[in-house]
Amino acid sequence: MPSTLAEFSQQLANTVEKAGQSVLSVLEGGRAGVSGTVWREGIGVAVDHTIQGLEEVTVILPSGKETIVSVTGRDPGTDLAILKLPTDTPAAALGDDSGARPGEIVLSIGRRGTEGLAATYGLISAIGGPWRTSSGGRIDRWFRLDLNPFPGFSGGPIINAGCEVLGIATSGPGRSAAVVPAATVNRIVDQLVKHGRTVRGYIGIGVQPVAFPEDAWQKLGISGGRGLLIIAVAPDSAATESGLMLGDVIVAIDGNALQSGASLQSMLDGESVGKPVSLGVVRGGQLMKVAVTVREKSAS
Amino acid sequence: MNRNTQLGISLSEAVSSVAAGMREITVKVSGSKGRHGSGTVWWPGLIVTNAHVANSQVHDVEFEAGMKVPGWLVARDCDLDLAALAVSAPLARGAAIRSASHLRAGEMVLALGNPFDGRGSVTAGIVHCPVGNSPRLLADIRLAPGYSGGPLVETGGSVIGINSMIVGPLGCAITSDAVEEFLSRFHLSEAA
Repeated sequence: MPSTLAEFSQQLANTVEKAGQSVLSVLEGGRAGVSGTVWREGIGVAVDHTIQGLEEVTVILPSGKETIVSVTGRDPGTDLAILKLPTDTPAAALGDDSGARPGEIVLSIGRRGTEGLAATYGLISAIGGPWRTSSGGRIDRWFRLDLNPFPGFSGGPIINAGCEVLGIATSGPGRSAAVVPAATVNRIVDQLVKHGRTVRGYIGIGVQPVAFPEDAWQKLGISGGRGLLIIAVAPDSAATESGLMLGDVIVAIDGNALQSGASLQSMLDGESVGKPVSLGVVRGGQLMKVAVTVREKSAS
Repeated sequence: MNRNTQLGISLSEAVSSVAAGMREITVKVSGSKGRHGSGTVWWPGLIVTNAHVANSQVHDVEFEAGMKVPGWLVARDCDLDLAALAVSAPLARGAAIRSASHLRAGEMVLALGNPFDGRGSVTAGIVHCPVGNSPRLLADIRLAPGYSGGPLVETGGSVIGINSMIVGPLGCAITSDAVEEFLSRFHLSEAA
């Protein structure tokens, strides 16, 4: 019977070793180095805030070779950045994070400087639906991991027992380990490779949530009491072009009653740039429609 | 019973059986102010523990079977956090010792000791990163103060370290290699 345990132990170590072939170390990241994952041939992924302000970073490749690589794209929304790597580094085997189940064993693999591979292990505790980061990034799936973070683990892969990458490890709330799922990373990498940046929409308004009293709903002909009061309009923006004014209350987007402030964020995903959106707006006690063409958010 | 359930039970039983085998060489060491830690029977007559557990000349050493004997401090290294106690007890064998140098990240390890209420416990984890030349091994394992001085074992049941401290979410053990070097420095060796 102890041989079953020895086998299990060796398999864990084998899985760590195999995944480690696609894990690199970013020397200038974080406090004493962070990890990065070879996502595709020639493309590495790291956690953006750990390498903030750096155009080039020194990495130690899985082969042991130390080289300087450039940071070729960043997405602050999802806190991911991509690095241009030499093409001869094997890319990680990506898994389908939509197939993951609570209870599955996961490992967090990291590489810090010349220390070699490091790992922690645990389970997927819970899986939830899509969510948005505070900077507006869209994360395809929420995972709660019962797994310890460790110095330099950010940017490394979270792998399942089959050695497939479920996503990129990053810091979660309260010093926990969190993961940006593979589906999200793929989407962001596609955009960063194509444009060098992620495209975000921009209308040019500052808003504050407000609630209409119930008798006002029917009088105005709106469903649900939620609205977003426009408290700022940026000059020369999509908002000014469309005629949106201070004091307007947005109550619907493309005919759909506003669910929350996040509904506006979904209007601003890269795919909607250049497209017209019809906003239901209450102005001076009257419900009206205002067409807005979402522009691209400038880099500054 | 499907294969997965079988495997799960086998793994569980395997962990329990390794732990059971290790209890014989895990002792409870009384510390100052009513505190307690653990110790590892390195060979019959010699208990290895941490310097921070063994900080006086004599300690009560309690074996799993219930036997209680005095342990006399014969070696102590505060930098390494190791200490050795000599005991007079009819023990048949000491621990099987193995070098920690071969351990790879991900390999499973078990820590034994006497945390919290002071009764024998086991916890499981994995090697965090290879040891290299360091006398310290980091493991992704949940230690608690009473585990100090107890053995860290690999899945074959051999001792590869002495649990010594908690480093953030990880556990730290002094490698068996460092223990051997410490014992030879104090000219302690098993009687032939």
